Amino acid sequence: MPSSSSPPSGPRQGWDRRRTIGAVAAGVAVAALVALLAIGLLNKGVETSIARALDAGERPPAPDLELPVLVAGDGVGPAGGTFSLEALRGRTVIVNVWASWCIPCKTEAPILDAIARRYRERGAPVLVLGIDVKDLSENALAFWERYDLSYPSLRDRDGDVDGALQTTGVPETFVIDPQGRIAYRKIGEIRSEEQITPVVDDLAPA
Amino acid sequence: MRAVLIALALVLAAPALGAALSVNEVASELRCPTCNTPLDVSNAPAAVDMKAFIADRIERGWTKQQIIDALVEDFGPSVLATPPKRGFDLIAWLVPALGVALALAAIPIVTRAWARRPRGEGAAPPEPTPEEARRLEDELRRLGDV
Repeated sequence: MPSSSSPPSGPRQGWDRRRTIGAVAAGVAVAALVALLAIGLLNKGVETSIARALDAGERPPAPDLELPVLVAGDGVGPAGGTFSLEALRGRTVIVNVWASWCIPCKTEAPILDAIARRYRERGAPVLVLGIDVKDLSENALAFWERYDLSYPSLRDRDGDVDGALQTTGVPETFVIDPQGRIAYRKIGEIRSEEQITPVVDDLAPA
Repeated sequence: MRAVLIALALVLAAPALGAALSVNEVASELRCPTCNTPLDVSNAPAAVDMKAFIADRIERGWTKQQIIDALVEDFGPSVLATPPKRGFDLIAWLVPALGVALALAAIPIVTRAWARRPRGEGAAPPEPTPEEARRLEDELRRLGDV
């Protein structure tokens, strides 16, 4: 009586091995594809931890961004070099995310410049710092000249600011305290100096 | 001899006589940094500025590659419509190619497997239980009576 548990014949065994290798290869390919999709989804995810922390009355740490300098000034520079936000610890920094094609940015730039001049004249350790995003550098420089802006600006060439500051668009303004924590965030246009100065004065009384 | 010289001149001048570089020809290889759509179909303010930049550089006689390089310098490599064929971005090109190669390699294996499968294997219906056989007989008899 033939045994049902007898080992399979040679060709059959070879065929099973090929099928196993094929299944493993297909499994690896599918796993790699799923992993790539997962990485893509995780990277595209909208991070809102800064907004949540601010809503809870906390001050989340500001990211340590190192960006090219578009316009030097107030201790930020030289133009063309790179500058790290971390180098501004000890000063209150008003970070304005802007672009030359952004219409509200045109309205608020003179207001931000007035704020910068106000604290500079007082000798207060307060700095206004622009970060130009998604912009042609020549247009950004023309914008600076057109509005005769006195404060410095960095450039976000590689799109790092979106993720690091969790911006939703332009303009957006952040107030970073002397300890390097985000104390305030304004989405949209700054319409008056008083929208920003009370926050700044609370952090660094002049 | 004159004809040969004219032909030679035409060949040498061909690039200049060819279709002039258009804004969309350059823009189609880039994407809008604010809306992530192809630059040639985007009307976002940033895209409008970029197209004006392209038009200006074409007028100045820049080549397509020079214009693209300048925009990559300003916006980073993510401004390219297709990822560069080097470094980590190479994966984006290799994975689909690998998928196609695997699929092609699988065709002979799968067809051989189908060809070797004994006819009818797994297709034979199970034997009816005595109860099912009795009901079947009853149904057939009833149909026969009708």
